[in-house]
Formats: sequence, structure tokens, C-alpha cells
Amino acid sequence: MTFTQLKAYKNEMIVGVAVLLLLISFIYKQGKVSSRLDATTGTSVQELKEVIALKKVWGNKKTTKKVDKLKTLVPPSKLKWSRKSKKLTASFNNLTHPELNRLVTKVMNLAVEIEKLEVKNMGGSYHVEFKCKW
Amino acid sequence: MENTKTLMLVHSGMKYLTSMPSDGGNVLLTPQFYTVKREAIPVKYAYQAKRIAPSLFEGLLENLQAYKYFVFKEEDVWVFIAYDLEMIRTFLEDKGFDLEKISKIYFAEQALNDFSSPVLLGEREALVNLNGTMTVVPQIALSSDEKPMQISSSFTPKKGISFEGRKKSYISSNEAYTLASILALFAMLYFVEGSRYGGENIAQEQEMQALLVEYPSLQSSYTRESIADKYKAIDKKERKKRDVIKSLSQMIFKGSTLTSLSLDNKKFQAEFACKDKRVSKKLQELAKKEKFNTSKVANGNDVKIEGTL
Repeated sequence: MTFTQLKAYKNEMIVGVAVLLLLISFIYKQGKVSSRLDATTGTSVQELKEVIALKKVWGNKKTTKKVDKLKTLVPPSKLKWSRKSKKLTASFNNLTHPELNRLVTKVMNLAVEIEKLEVKNMGGSYHVEFKCKW
Repeated sequence: MENTKTLMLVHSGMKYLTSMPSDGGNVLLTPQFYTVKREAIPVKYAYQAKRIAPSLFEGLLENLQAYKYFVFKEEDVWVFIAYDLEMIRTFLEDKGFDLEKISKIYFAEQALNDFSSPVLLGEREALVNLNGTMTVVPQIALSSDEKPMQISSSFTPKKGISFEGRKKSYISSNEAYTLASILALFAMLYFVEGSRYGGENIAQEQEMQALLVEYPSLQSSYTRESIADKYKAIDKKERKKRDVIKSLSQMIFKGSTLTSLSLDNKKFQAEFACKDKRVSKKLQELAKKEKFNTSKVANGNDVKIEGTL
């Protein structure tokens, strides 16, 4: 086909080029979208951040120190303390209302697995049994 | 834009064409191939003039149906040209023209002003502008002081006709440009969107790499999944326990005292001493709101609240 004959189809060629351009751009976009999906179906940054955050909270190496601070909340006379490695069994006796509040608030903010929490009101004072691990 | 294609003057006495320009060409017809009429008609547009063209040539041409008309305006008058396209086609084919290579056909009448001197047609005839009309005259009628000229592509008029049989576009230029613009716009949008996704991908990848450098132990997907599963389960369970403790602590108010609380990995149970029935009822309502099970302790207003974790 000569150039003159091709020129007769100039309009079709213009549309053809535009269609081709559209097709290329569509494939390009789909390529980018699918690579993004691949990243999402693998491990996204969000997921990784979540794992890191969970690890920071529940695998925190400073938790032992934080747990030990529970001892300072009440006078030693009111406390029975037994910590072996990362397990704690503690009894708190004759706690006043404010002491109980402080203890429970502190326990709630500790990143430990509460295995047992028992509170008993013994005529105005409180007795607390607490077992946890981390 | 000026037409630079070769303009070939076609006249009835021309010789057989041995070759055509490779890029094709245009054809300028002498009056031997058309009939012309100039009329001052009060119409504004060429298409209106074209409609009345057949009536102007009535009685002047035989077999009017064979003719087509080309109209253009020349100062204050309309120029009507009647031509037999089939006859022109046959003639050109007979003279060796490759019709596929002919872009446009023009009439000498359209280039009237360019013919300042006669143009010789073979050995006997000449094409001249005779009082504002292109006319083929015998060369002997030319005065000796008239110097013949040659036509060139600069004679090419703006508008012309083309063979209907010639391959034509299926879509018009306007349609093509409109469609191409719309498609190009979409293509641009896709490119922009694609590059945006691409940018996000790169940023995500960089952030991911930075995090993995900081936490090399998480490079293995197995480790990641294992850590996530372990801590997610703990997180869920421990949050629930703390939510329960928080809810129960909100049930301690004037007239309601916590007697006992017991919580382990599976369940919880709490007993509240209430000073009267009103407090007891309020406490039970609060517990129901939290979807805890409630029951009254025998012979009194005290309330027992329990549930599973």
C-alpha cells in the first residue's frame, strides 16, 4: 500500500493511534494496580506496622520492670509476692478503697495476660489475688 | 497550507501518460470537460446554489442526469460548473492515469486569475482567459506578442472534487478528531492514575524496606504470621478482660458496693451489695446494657453479675 493510499485512511489511522494509546495506558494502569494488589495480598506496610505494634506492646522487655512496680503501690506488710521468670502470683491484703483503685488501674494498664484476678470485700477492706504472665 | 502536489493539466488532445508522480497528484481540467455558467443569484451559501444548479443547465446540456455540479463564488456572482464525472474518469483511465493516485480534480475556471498568459495544449490549441472565462482556442488565434506560460502547483485552488469510487475514509475528520480527543483524554487519565498507583507502590515498598531493616526478625513471612497470630489472640482476649473490669467498676456508685470479683481466662463473676431495690434495679439495667447475665442473691437486694470471656 502506497503512502497516497494510506493517506486516504488518515482519519481511521488517527482513531487507531488514539485507541492504541488508550490500550497502552489502560494496560499500564492495570499493571500498576495489580502490582499494588500483589503488595496488598502479600504483606502490606499496614500489616507489618500492626505486627510491630503488637510486638512492642505484648513482647515488651520492660514489662517485668513495670510489673515489679506493683510492689510499690502498697506497704510490704500488705503484700505477698512471688515472681518466677515471667509469671507473677501476688496477694494484696487489707487494701483501702484508694489502694484498690490504684492497683486495679495499674493492672489494667499493664501489658500482661491476666490469669486470675480476685477481689474480696472483707468488712470495708479489700483482699486481692492476682496471677499473671507476660 | 499550500498544496505542493503536482498539478497536471488535462485536455482532450493530451498524450498518453507514461508515468505518474509517485506521491500522486492533482488534476486541472480544461473547459473541454465541463460547462460553466456565471449567475448572480441571491443565495448566501454554496449548498443553496448547488440545489438550483440543475435548473440553470436545462436546455443547455443533454442527459442532465449524468452531470454533477460544482459551485463556487467569484466576487458577486456564483460560478456553476456542470461535469460528467464518468466521462472524466473514462478519459483519464484511457490516458494512463492511475485514479487511485489522483487526490483532487479541479476546474481551470477556479484558477482563472492565475492564467495571465495562454497555456499551450499540445501543438494546436491553447487555454486562455478570455474575458473572464477559461476558453480553449486554436494557437493560431493567439497574438504573436503573447508569451505562453506553464501551469504549476501554485495554481491549485482550495476546493476540488474527487472520484467517488476512490477509497474514502469511513469516518469524517471531525468525527476522527473528536473521537481521538476523547480517547486521548481517557488515556491521559489512565496514565495519571497509573503513575499515582506507581508512586504509592514505590513509597510503600520503601517504607516496607525501612521497617524490615529496623525489624529484621520480621523478614520471614512465616515469623510475621506466627507473631501476628499469637499477639492478636492475646490482644483480643486481654482487651475483653479489661473492658469487663472497666464496665464493672462503672457499676460502683452511691448505694452499690463491690462485694467480690473473680476473673480468669474463661469467665468472670462479680457481686454487688445494693442498699435498696431501686439501686438493685439500676444495677441490673446497667449490667443488661453491657450484655452481662444478672441474678439476685437470695433474700436481699444484692446482685450477682457474670459472663464469659
